[in-house]
Amino acid sequence: MKVVTGIPVLDDLIDEIPNGKTLTYWINPEVEGDVFAMQTIYTNVEEGLKCAYTTITISPESILAEFEEFGWNVKDFENFEIVDLYSEYVGYPSKYKYSANPLKIDEVCGLLKNVLEEFDVIYIPISSIIDVCGDESISCIESIFKLVKEKGKVLITSFVSWPYPEKIKKIVGDLSNAIVKIGGIHHRVILGYYYGLVKVDWKNVKSKSILFKLVRPGGVRAYIPKILVTGPYNAGKSTFVHAVSNVALSVDRLGTTVALDHGHLEYKGFSIDLFGTPGQERFDPILRMLGKDALGVILVVDSTKPETFPRAKQMLESVTHFGLPYVVAANKQDLSNALSPEEIRKKMYLPEDVPIIPISASKGEGIFKVIDALLDILVGSWKEGENEFEIST
Amino acid sequence: MSLRSQLEDILKDLKSTGDIEASAIVSRDGLLIAADISANVNAEAFAAMSATMLGAAETAMTELGKGIPDRVVVESSNGKIVATGAGEKALLVVMTSPKANLGLILLQIGKASRRVEELLG
Repeated sequence: MKVVTGIPVLDDLIDEIPNGKTLTYWINPEVEGDVFAMQTIYTNVEEGLKCAYTTITISPESILAEFEEFGWNVKDFENFEIVDLYSEYVGYPSKYKYSANPLKIDEVCGLLKNVLEEFDVIYIPISSIIDVCGDESISCIESIFKLVKEKGKVLITSFVSWPYPEKIKKIVGDLSNAIVKIGGIHHRVILGYYYGLVKVDWKNVKSKSILFKLVRPGGVRAYIPKILVTGPYNAGKSTFVHAVSNVALSVDRLGTTVALDHGHLEYKGFSIDLFGTPGQERFDPILRMLGKDALGVILVVDSTKPETFPRAKQMLESVTHFGLPYVVAANKQDLSNALSPEEIRKKMYLPEDVPIIPISASKGEGIFKVIDALLDILVGSWKEGENEFEIST
Repeated sequence: MSLRSQLEDILKDLKSTGDIEASAIVSRDGLLIAADISANVNAEAFAAMSATMLGAAETAMTELGKGIPDRVVVESSNGKIVATGAGEKALLVVMTSPKANLGLILLQIGKASRRVEELLG
């Protein structure tokens, strides 16, 4: 049987989840991550595989309603079953064929093992089970992981990374054959969500992060982040876009950008679209249009022309009104009269924590440090957890 | 006769076609060269956005391997805008009433743009 994740890009990376393997969705508590497991289960239900979805802290009815909300009518499939650990937990008799009282961990363990015998793909919310059944449930979970391997089934789990004991995190992390981490992009508020493969032990895969939006109905949809490159006239925005991009095109006339520059960049596992704006005041309506839905801003300034800084700041204000993160690229550092980043910070009255990166766009110097700085702000939380797992190579 | 008044004459002749509410000759980088526009229209913005529109359309078309487009026509229930190249340095943009006869107007715009091209090179 061929089991897939049903998640965009992820399936292209890993092809399938081989029989006997466990894939864990490692979810940051700030993110609505249940949908990943639901999408995986539904995709395989549609393919005709026997799938079971375990619920413990949410009623089966709510789970089914949520499936429905995403347009996944699992109820209509005979090869789908709910494993109900909820009803008896709250003191109701269960209507479902597979149910147990989660306060009796042996009962739960026995049930899950039976389900594993009967079904091809099963989903277990590990962290919720630990929440309800306590730390002692971890030995049951360990035995289930082992059984999956023995019986050649596929286990999908979710682990919401609250501060559980390190021991538990390590057990779950080590036993999972693949881990997909799901987190948020922060800057004062959460700007977006991403998921990324951080571990897979059956294939050589480069780590990749994908930004996503939830669509109802539809589920997880990958999208490409848009970064706005703006700055005063003649600061070198187009040169910058062309220098960092794999492919780029410009709409420029008589040496100045009249509509936009567009560049696409594959960098550190991210697909990024760069949109360069015109710099002259008469094009300001375009600036606001291009700024919509951007995830970050790169402000390019000519370090030799402090008289253009007020305009630079005004442009920044008009595109960052929603609190978008930004970095400043101090361009033309190859010229002798260029101001240093700290002089620019002083002259522009920029906060201490705003990165100002010295670059020479025409010589291609320092340009990727600008992208790094912006990614750092955007996915800083991702990096903190980077060493949590080893990515097998 | 100054270059400017010669260009303005071209716009005046164009207006005699009828149904033309405003017209302008704009440098490719979006600066106003000559205009026949009523005072309640922001001529500078009209000029800049015309250059943006035509520039973006030209790039979109050439990227698809379909060559440089002859013109961009934008239609709304309140009127039409036609932007066309007038040589390498300039473009001609015209705003019409909603019921304008586009066929006749396109013909006149074609003639006018060639005259602009001759003057501006």
